[in-house]
Amino acid sequence: MTTAVTEPFGPLDPFAHPALFYRDEQEYLDGTLPFVRDGLDAGEPVAVAVPGKNLALIRDALGDAAESVRLLDMREAGRNPGRIIPGVLRAFADAQPAGRRVRIIGEPIWAGRSGVEYPACAQHEALINAAFQGRAATILCPYDVAQLPEHMVTDAYATHPTVIHPGSRAEQDSAAYAPEDVVARYNEALPPVPEALMFAFDSDSLPHARHLAVGEGARLGLVGVKLDDLALATAELTTNSVVHGGGSGVLRVWSEDGYVVCEVHDDGHLADVLAGRRPVPRDQRGGRGILLVNLIADLVRVHRSDSGTTVRCWFAR
Amino acid sequence: METRHQLSAAGPAPGLAVFPLAGRQGVRAAGEVGLTTRAIWEGVLEEAVREGEDVYYLELSDVTFVDVAGAGALAAAAGRLRDGRRFVVRRPPAALRRTLDLLWPGQRGIEVSTS
Repeated sequence: MTTAVTEPFGPLDPFAHPALFYRDEQEYLDGTLPFVRDGLDAGEPVAVAVPGKNLALIRDALGDAAESVRLLDMREAGRNPGRIIPGVLRAFADAQPAGRRVRIIGEPIWAGRSGVEYPACAQHEALINAAFQGRAATILCPYDVAQLPEHMVTDAYATHPTVIHPGSRAEQDSAAYAPEDVVARYNEALPPVPEALMFAFDSDSLPHARHLAVGEGARLGLVGVKLDDLALATAELTTNSVVHGGGSGVLRVWSEDGYVVCEVHDDGHLADVLAGRRPVPRDQRGGRGILLVNLIADLVRVHRSDSGTTVRCWFAR
Repeated sequence: METRHQLSAAGPAPGLAVFPLAGRQGVRAAGEVGLTTRAIWEGVLEEAVREGEDVYYLELSDVTFVDVAGAGALAAAAGRLRDGRRFVVRRPPAALRRTLDLLWPGQRGIEVSTS
């Protein structure tokens, strides 16, 4: 280990995280293709995780070279923003030989992300900086400035240390860079709960809490693996409340807009902002509950407040 | 607006019962693996690691749920098996297969059998 590895966001930090602003397909390709080709020319592992339509653009433009690039549809791989760091970015970076610089294009925010998804997207973009601090990696994040609302573009200046303006090749420092502020600002109270099944649990009633959630999930239309996932998520969140969150909590289950939603509230304080977003070394015991929830749910939102922690997760029916 | 459904915890929590298999080395388990039964499950795995046969059977067709810590205990035990030994996990609940696939893909020492 060299001292540079622990330098916090300093000039020696080998991690780069530029936002790429684009207005059309040409600007998209002008900004992304050289990034991919330069990486391939330098022998660096390259991954592209962007929405399917943009993925097709890049794949077609790369031709045969596309076979050397890991291509992922972010609408699937990154449906839940909370799983992009562990399941896409770190999963790719950590699989490469130690010390090898990696390049990733990650586009987690697209027109059509819902209002309930967006706070999780903004927090994800902000937390990439902490999750990759000190690592030899470049993550380029395209933003469709022609379609995205202005506040999302404004946030991109706060979540990225550098930005590339439309039609430009040059990276500029972002004076507004303040990722911790974004994490705090989007720690929003969750939308009100509609009519819901509600159950107060403690250590004695943990299995019952899970059975109730599964019964309600089935009644509301979840089947197969989605119902298994609801059982896993309920078990992990309620167990966390019992073990780390003060010994008890409240479970709620309801349906909205094609999803079954499960929420667990407890009096605990989840201080670690990267909880559930770090890959866990294979030989480490425990600490994978929220990570699993992030990997299986279609959306996870967390609200930390003086009165405790609320984790809400959505499962598409 | 929230409707409170009046719910009371029904009956005793499901446990985890473990029986030796006849004719081969291993156990049949019945019930659930969660926080309240984790110690039983870890005890089973601890004993299994110390056994001598190459294959140790975990018959799980009557296990209805295994949480992430339970899957982790299995992965950790499998990682401690000496070379050439393995667990054959028979008919595990879907939750266990899902968790192993996502968090311990290709874990050595675990063979999942669905028949």
